[in-house]
Amino acid sequence: MGSDAQKQNDEMMLSIIRDILLREDRDDIADIKELLDDPDKLSERIAPVIEFHIETLKRKFPKEYRKEVDKIVERKLKASQDELLDVVYPVMGKMVRKYVSHQFVSLKESLDDRLRNFFSTQRLVNRFKSMVFGVNEGDLLLSEMDSTSIEEVFLIERDSGVLLGHYSRNTTMDRDVVAGMLTAIKAFVEDAFSKERQDLEMIEYGTYKIYIQSFHLYYAAVILNGSVTATEKDRIAARLLDFAEGEMKGFSYNAEETDTNKLSSKLAEYFKHEGI
Amino acid sequence: MLSKKVILTGNFGVGKTSLFNRFVYNRFSDKYLTTIGVKVNKKVTEVDGEEVSFLLWDIAGEVSQDKVPVSYFLGAAGIIYVFDLSRPLTFEHIDRDIEHLRQLLPNSVLKIVGNKKDLLQEGEVENILQELSQKCDITTSAKTGESVEELFQELGAELLKRV
Repeated sequence: MGSDAQKQNDEMMLSIIRDILLREDRDDIADIKELLDDPDKLSERIAPVIEFHIETLKRKFPKEYRKEVDKIVERKLKASQDELLDVVYPVMGKMVRKYVSHQFVSLKESLDDRLRNFFSTQRLVNRFKSMVFGVNEGDLLLSEMDSTSIEEVFLIERDSGVLLGHYSRNTTMDRDVVAGMLTAIKAFVEDAFSKERQDLEMIEYGTYKIYIQSFHLYYAAVILNGSVTATEKDRIAARLLDFAEGEMKGFSYNAEETDTNKLSSKLAEYFKHEGI
Repeated sequence: MLSKKVILTGNFGVGKTSLFNRFVYNRFSDKYLTTIGVKVNKKVTEVDGEEVSFLLWDIAGEVSQDKVPVSYFLGAAGIIYVFDLSRPLTFEHIDRDIEHLRQLLPNSVLKIVGNKKDLLQEGEVENILQELSQKCDITTSAKTGESVEELFQELGAELLKRV
């Protein structure tokens, strides 16, 4: 009995001591528990700390992690080329479709114009051509609409690239430099790809074409816009031969004697009204 | 107006393009030099009261190597042969180069130019010129612009004399 009473007494004493020693900690734990159980209070306490770390991360990120991010992006791009193309193609497709439909609208408008002038002289000529030569009238209409225009004509000394004459519908960049660079390109291509003596005849870029006709001491470069058929090429060649025959006979290059203004106005005479 | 093709030639890295760019307003990219090996530009300048239009061809690479199309040289009324005063390797074959150019263009005005004089002392330049097997017409510095205009004035004057 005595030992039981003693034991009970010890436990009570221990409990009192425990209460005294752990009271503060228990209070703290209770406070923390209360804080954790209440989201509003918790967010109020944690938010400034998180905000501070986010700000620090934002500030340091570009410097600290740029290389890593670059590597990841590069790896990702390489690994997902097909997916990227999947994304880009529809956009490009839409652009192409938009362009094509715009071209169709222009074509339709142009056709409408032609049909409106049903009894025009040109229309009657076309019908006659169509009957006589068996060419589809629609094809004739299309070929009329897809006309080629001469934008510029350069007359250039063959070896030196010095400009002898020039005709242009619009003002262009420095003609002398263009003549020089054309000569350099021509020389380069002829040197690089010709086994025998052959001349560069055509340079194409987009809808533009540069038709080149070489003569003994000079050459002509005709800048054309639009599609050029073999017949049209022949017509330009014939016109250039006419010019050479009429204006360049007996030409021997001499920069100080060549009247570039005179040759330029002659070129204009030959090509100004040249509708191909 | 007198219009003449002038070529700039010489070994790699002697400053041909810098001379070219110093003399003309360079509106075209130098990429032409690496693609087709030549870049053309123009400068109109007054020489002895007359206007002369220089059509300048800056030719990349060496003078007598097969890699440069001969046609780039043809039709040139003037030749500017450039070497680097600070690098003897660039005038090691000057006799061979000049001989080649004279054979190719016997009627052209030839100017031999020692460039990059800003890298040397006056005495050093004189020593190099004395030992050079060809007569150097003018020494220039494309970097500072020294004697660049003078070079073209001299060339223009000689071209005018031949008219």
